[in-house]
Amino acid sequence: MDELDILKRDWKKQEATLPKISYDDIYKMIHKKSSSIVKWILIISIAELLFWTGLNLLIPDSYLEIYEKFNLKTFLLATQFIHYIIVIVFIYFFYKNYKAICVSENTNLLMKKIIKTRKTVNYYVYYNIIVYVLLSIILNIVMFSNPETLIEALNPGNLNIDGDKFLNIMLIVQVVTLIVMLGLLCLYYRIIYGIFLRRLSKNYKELASLEH
Amino acid sequence: MNKELEHKFISEFQENQNIVHKVCRIYTSDQESHNDLFQEITIQLWNAYPKFRGDSKLSTWMYRIGLNTAITLYRKSKRSVPTQDFDTVLHKIEATDYDNTEDEQLKLMYKAIHQLSDIDKALIFLYLEDKNYSEISETIGISEVNARVKMNRIKTRLKTILNP
Repeated sequence: MDELDILKRDWKKQEATLPKISYDDIYKMIHKKSSSIVKWILIISIAELLFWTGLNLLIPDSYLEIYEKFNLKTFLLATQFIHYIIVIVFIYFFYKNYKAICVSENTNLLMKKIIKTRKTVNYYVYYNIIVYVLLSIILNIVMFSNPETLIEALNPGNLNIDGDKFLNIMLIVQVVTLIVMLGLLCLYYRIIYGIFLRRLSKNYKELASLEH
Repeated sequence: MNKELEHKFISEFQENQNIVHKVCRIYTSDQESHNDLFQEITIQLWNAYPKFRGDSKLSTWMYRIGLNTAITLYRKSKRSVPTQDFDTVLHKIEATDYDNTEDEQLKLMYKAIHQLSDIDKALIFLYLEDKNYSEISETIGISEVNARVKMNRIKTRLKTILNP
C-alpha cells in the first residue's frame, strides 16, 4: 500500500475521535467577537485616517497670522481645501476596498483584497508625509528669502537677538523635527507590518511565485 | 439577529463541524489553539452566513472559509511556530532513528505536515479530504496545473521522508 494511502486512511479514521461541540456552545461562540486581522486593520486604518486629518486641525490660528505677513494665507487655505478633497477620495477608496473583502472568496483573492485595502491607507500616509515635507520646503523658501519679515514675525517683542544665528537655529530645529518624525513613522510601520501583515504577505508571495 | 437564521446556522454547522475541527488539526498543535481557531472560524462562518446563497454546497463553503480563516485572518502569536523550509525538515527527520512500522510512518508524516507552510498545509489537507484538483485550485485561487505541480512536490517529499 502506498504511504500516502496509509495517511489518507488514518486521516479518515480520526473522524470518530473529533470533538463534538454542543448546540449551546456553538450559540455562545457565535455571540463572541471576532479578532481577525481584517478587523484590526480596519481599526488601525480608521485611527490613522483620523490622526492625519486631525493633525491638520491642530495648527493654531496664530500660525496663519504669521503666514499672512508673507502673503501665504490664500495659498495655505487653497492647499487645505484641495487636501480635504483628497482625504475624502482616500476615505471613499478605503471604504470601497474594505467592503470588497469577502471571506468566502478563494484564498488568493482574499489576500489580494486585504493587501489592497491596507495599501490604500499606506498611500494616504505617504501622501500626508509628502505634502508635509513639500509644504515645509515651500514655506521655508518663502520665509527665508524674507529674513527681516521672518525675524519680525517670530520676535514681535523686538528682543535683541542675532538674526543669522536665530535663522540657523530655526532651520536646524525644523530639520531635526522632520528626521525624528520620519524615524518614528518608519518604526511604527515596521511594527504594524510585523504584527499584522508579515504572515499574510509571506503566504501571498508564495502563491504569487507559483503563478509566475 | 434573526433567531430563525441563527437556529438554522447552528443546526447545519453542528452537522458539519468535523470540517472545522479538521482544519484546526492541520493548523494547530495544541488543544488551546485548536479551540481558539475553531471559535474564530465559527464566528467567520456565522458572519458570512447571511450571504450564503446555497449556489455551492455548504461543505465547500465551509472548507473555504475555514482555510481562509486559518491562513489569512487568524492571528495568534502562540500558534506562529516558525515554519521551515521543507528540505530542512526533511534533513532533520532523516537524521532521526528510522523505524519502518506504519505508526512510525504516520508519526513522521504528521510531523512533516505540521512543519509545512500555510499554503502547503491547505493543499495536503484538501488532498486528504479527497478533493479533486479543480476544487483545490478554486479554493486556493491558483491554476489547476499549478495546484498539481505543487501537490506532486509535497507528495514526493512526503514519500522521500519514508523511503530515504
